[in-house]
Amino acid sequence: MTAPVLEVDGLRKEFVRGFLRKRTVAVDGISFRVERGEVFGFLGPNGAGKTTTMKMLMGLIYPSSGKATILGAAVGDIEAKRRIGYLPENPYFYDYLSATEYLHMIGRIYGLDRAERHKRSSRLLERLGLAMAESRAMRSYSKGMLQRVGLAQALIGDPELVVLDEPMSGLDPIGRREVRDLIIELREQGKTVFFSTHILADANLLCDRVGIIVKGKLRDVGPLGELLSPKVLRIDVLWQGSEQLQAALREQFDGSEPGSEPGSEPTASPHSSSSEGQVFVAQAQAQLDRFVAAVIAGGGEISSVTPQRETLEQLFVRDSGSRPEEQRS
Amino acid sequence: MTDTPKHPRGVLAGFGRMWAIALNTFREAVRNKVLAILVMFAVALMAFSLVLGQLSLHEEIRIIKDLGLAGISIFGVVIALFLGVNLLSKELDRKTVYAIVPKPLHRHEFLLGKYLGLVVTMVALVVLMSAVLAGFLLMQGGRHGVLMVRAEILILLELLLLMAVAMLFSSFSSPWLSAMFAGSLWVIGRNTAELEAFATGKLEGSAGGTVLGVVLELLPDFRMFFVSGANFDETVVSVHESFVSWAYVGSASAYAAAYGGMCLLIAVLLFQRRDFT
Ligand SMILES: Nc1ncnc2c1ncn2[C@@H]1O[C@H](COP(=O)(O)OP(=O)(O)O)[C@@H](O)[C@H]1O
Ligand SMILES: [Mg+2]
Repeated sequence: MTAPVLEVDGLRKEFVRGFLRKRTVAVDGISFRVERGEVFGFLGPNGAGKTTTMKMLMGLIYPSSGKATILGAAVGDIEAKRRIGYLPENPYFYDYLSATEYLHMIGRIYGLDRAERHKRSSRLLERLGLAMAESRAMRSYSKGMLQRVGLAQALIGDPELVVLDEPMSGLDPIGRREVRDLIIELREQGKTVFFSTHILADANLLCDRVGIIVKGKLRDVGPLGELLSPKVLRIDVLWQGSEQLQAALREQFDGSEPGSEPGSEPTASPHSSSSEGQVFVAQAQAQLDRFVAAVIAGGGEISSVTPQRETLEQLFVRDSGSRPEEQRS
Repeated sequence: MTDTPKHPRGVLAGFGRMWAIALNTFREAVRNKVLAILVMFAVALMAFSLVLGQLSLHEEIRIIKDLGLAGISIFGVVIALFLGVNLLSKELDRKTVYAIVPKPLHRHEFLLGKYLGLVVTMVALVVLMSAVLAGFLLMQGGRHGVLMVRAEILILLELLLLMAVAMLFSSFSSPWLSAMFAGSLWVIGRNTAELEAFATGKLEGSAGGTVLGVVLELLPDFRMFFVSGANFDETVVSVHESFVSWAYVGSASAYAAAYGGMCLLIAVLLFQRRDFT
């Protein structure tokens, strides 16, 4: 068994802010491990403590207590830092430098010679689709372009561990797709990827495991499928039928079914109509089976059956027993 | 990438990393329009001294020298405050520091590299402004000479020291406050003689006088760096030969290095423990 790439042990950060010395516990004693070669998603709503955790790991802020080991060394060890690449949240770089100049500077910090710097920076700028803008001053870059420069500067040292803070934020759907592909490519190269997001869809299909953080506490760690799949909340049925059948079914399935989930609204009628037909919301598999049978028996037609899985937000609500914090940015 | 590059170690590698930061800081600074505008003002002041020189009788060269040195000094001070105060606060404001500190370098290398970049910038600016001044002097049939070079080196030392002071302030307070603090220190530091006279004269023996005396000892003595326009032996000379020797320049350098070094050391210690939130 090799040692984990990242081992976090009871990490905690308390900010003391302002004149009144107001205290905020941003990260409240979290522990987890990231194994070599895996893609680990760090999921949580805005303000959960993801950025704060990553900054502690990168030596940007000092923990109030707890410790972390990265690639076998304490945080801040310069030889370990050489093997880590980090993308800050909403990165910004120097106004008057070009992307090429910036990457060359980072290459110098890594101690790369001129030829190697040139090779790596032009390859990365090409790979990230920045080649056309490489010699322009970065203050003219869009948010998406800055995000790409951020990825390039994280990768120029050819790191073993890649830490990305909200790598898909500020990108259009194509950009998100590209970042997703990049992460898959990194995994294929045998690198370990630790990235944060507040959007479940970004973590889906990409992560070997996720850690879910809510209000500074780690709620769950494991494969995303295991954390979410049993939680099919309700099933939407789109169907067509005569008015007679509609009235009959409204009577028969009136929403007072036993065993309805607390996440839904049991008092509201499960029936509604849309431009495409009638909609019925089933709360359980057995109820769905009976409803579909009734529609067929009554001469109606089923257009579609769509299971509605629990969203990340609902998962956060279930886990913390309260609403996630309001969106900050 | 299959080939593993060799990583230089030790002091040399540390200097390489600082140089990377310094180069980047220099580029950022000289591409900023504010700097170009301030240098243009300094040159405009020198050009104005040509006109003033014409109005005075037989004093053209002295006036060009005096005003030229004053221009380099005054605009240099404004530039030094601007650069010194922005050095850290801009990095923190723009969050550019978040990408740099996690890179394989020590925090003190980052800070010292930034300062080194400003030193390079300031040397370049003072050389540029001095060259313009020398050009004006030649145009009027005067000579620039080694005495002027010494005076310009002294001005440069003053500016480097002021930048270190400004950077120290900005490592724990806002840019505006830092500029005000460092600016006031410069004004006081230029007038220590008057304040010393006050401490040993009117306030002699009183507690206030003692305190003022001690405080004056601690404050940077900027007066020693500006040697133009003094009155010696009944004649006004721009830079006096007997006074501004190479030995004088040497001792002023030692003072600037010691005082500036202390400022950098304290700034490094503050920077070391800082949270970048
Ligand atoms: N410098 C700071 N001072 C005080 N509170 C902070 C500071 N930075 C972050 N916080 C608080 O810490 C919590 C976690 O923030 P953050 O780590 O940025 O969350 P996330 O990245 O998950 O959105 C938030 O409640 C935020 O308000
Ligand atoms: Mg964040």
